[in-house]
Amino acid sequence: MLGCHDFCGYYDWTFGYVRSRFGDEALMGLWAEAIGRDSQRHYEEAGRREGLAGLAKAWNQTGIDEHCEWSLTLDEKNNFLRWDMRQCPSKGFLLSNDCNADEDYCDHCMGWIIPLLARIGMEVTGHEHNHVGQCWAEISVRGKGREFPDLKIDIRNEPGWTCGYLHRWRNNHRLPLLDDFCASSDPCVLLGAWFSRTDHLLVMGRGAGTAKLKAHDVPADAALVTGAAYAMRDTFVSDPLGVLLSDRVDDLAKVAERFHATPTERRPLLMYTYLPSSQPIDFVSAGLPRPVPILPQLIRQGYYAHKPGQCCPTTDVFLAMLAISLQKRVHVLEIEVCQQADGKVFADDAQSTRDVTRPVRHSRQCDLSHLREAIAKASAPVHLAEHLQQLIEEP
Amino acid sequence: MAAPDFYFAVNAVFRHLHDRYGHGVLIDYWQRLGREYYRSRWQRWQRGGVEAIASDWRTYFEQEPKAVVIVSIDGDSVELDIRICPAIKHLRNCDHEVVPYFCEHCDHICSAMAEMAGFSFERTGGMGSCRQRFVRSGKKGEES
Repeated sequence: MLGCHDFCGYYDWTFGYVRSRFGDEALMGLWAEAIGRDSQRHYEEAGRREGLAGLAKAWNQTGIDEHCEWSLTLDEKNNFLRWDMRQCPSKGFLLSNDCNADEDYCDHCMGWIIPLLARIGMEVTGHEHNHVGQCWAEISVRGKGREFPDLKIDIRNEPGWTCGYLHRWRNNHRLPLLDDFCASSDPCVLLGAWFSRTDHLLVMGRGAGTAKLKAHDVPADAALVTGAAYAMRDTFVSDPLGVLLSDRVDDLAKVAERFHATPTERRPLLMYTYLPSSQPIDFVSAGLPRPVPILPQLIRQGYYAHKPGQCCPTTDVFLAMLAISLQKRVHVLEIEVCQQADGKVFADDAQSTRDVTRPVRHSRQCDLSHLREAIAKASAPVHLAEHLQQLIEEP
Repeated sequence: MAAPDFYFAVNAVFRHLHDRYGHGVLIDYWQRLGREYYRSRWQRWQRGGVEAIASDWRTYFEQEPKAVVIVSIDGDSVELDIRICPAIKHLRNCDHEVVPYFCEHCDHICSAMAEMAGFSFERTGGMGSCRQRFVRSGKKGEES
């Protein structure tokens, strides 16, 4: 049977199934109809019967049933209902069980709540979630004056809020991911727009020096580099178009230093995988903008399917997969493929005196199979440096 | 987190997929869910046989509120005597109309999982209580 204790896991999987088979509109239809109109109809009934107070009661009961770590603030006089979620048990289930089947699980809440509230004359005046289990939302009766009280509790002031990436809503509408660049809130559209300035991409991890670049005679005006390569400045002295950060926190200060030393118009797009099994990283406190997520692009284009508890590619391989998924001519000059079958210990040239323990979730087999599959699926030519070509041709 | 109101969403998703896309899509959804989402469970069944299947379902139903289920092993088969199905019970108690094909999800999900592990699945009864059997078949399904 399908139980309720592991519901959130197959809920996420169901979103991925519907989105990949029938598209985004179909998934929004599922949220609005199956969840908002059918499953959660008691919210509609409560809101219709008792207004904001009814909704607060319904949500309070859900909070008890689901063991939410959150606060609800109701001020009917000022037409104001708000929640501040410190630890979402639903997203928390996915993070603790390494689930990421769909592009964006968190979107389902606004997906059912906004259409339901619209039917009873209410709206979400503001909402933000950081994709690591924290969010807030404010709800008001539409067309009625409202005052925003001084908040005693605001998740945005609490630890952890600066982790993850934000999706934001105002008056029922989702806002752009990067205000000053692209009007879309969709990370896949944003990535497409950012890299639309080029028809080719050069992928460079650590070890791909300028000499190699010249030797291969490839255009160097559109480079994608890893965070480690960007931080160490030993790979590519020009400004890359994009940087895929890894979960090596010790690189962040150097990344921030180089990023801020670069004129705004030449700064790269910072990106990150946000894998559910990774510890959330506080990019904001490190002085960086929140990186754009790349898993939605890879999942949507069919280049990656996250399997709970199984190996996933290293950052360098994810970088190559991302470049290929953007459907441009790609030169992969250098990437660091995990050398360990069991992912035990690995040392690179920057840390010759200090071994680095790789998490067991990476392996040579996983890296190579993802690379091979990405190249096989590519819609534009992919050129690998000779040593990499030999690597993927290994039996 | 075992919040029984999640059964509302299970029932509603079945109805939505059935009414919008048809019964065939709903069956495909259940089969793929069994093969893909529950991969780690049937892999354990594959490795551990009847003991693993029995242990898995005991643990599963222990976490489902108000479920009354007796799990037993008989040679090469495992039987689940589901005296109170927690999903049907909660949906009825809360006046949610149970879709008439609700119990089919067990047939298709469990069959898909059983097949991958080298077992077959059969169910008798339904809509509140049923008996389910996993019988070793010796034929393992292939991952797509």
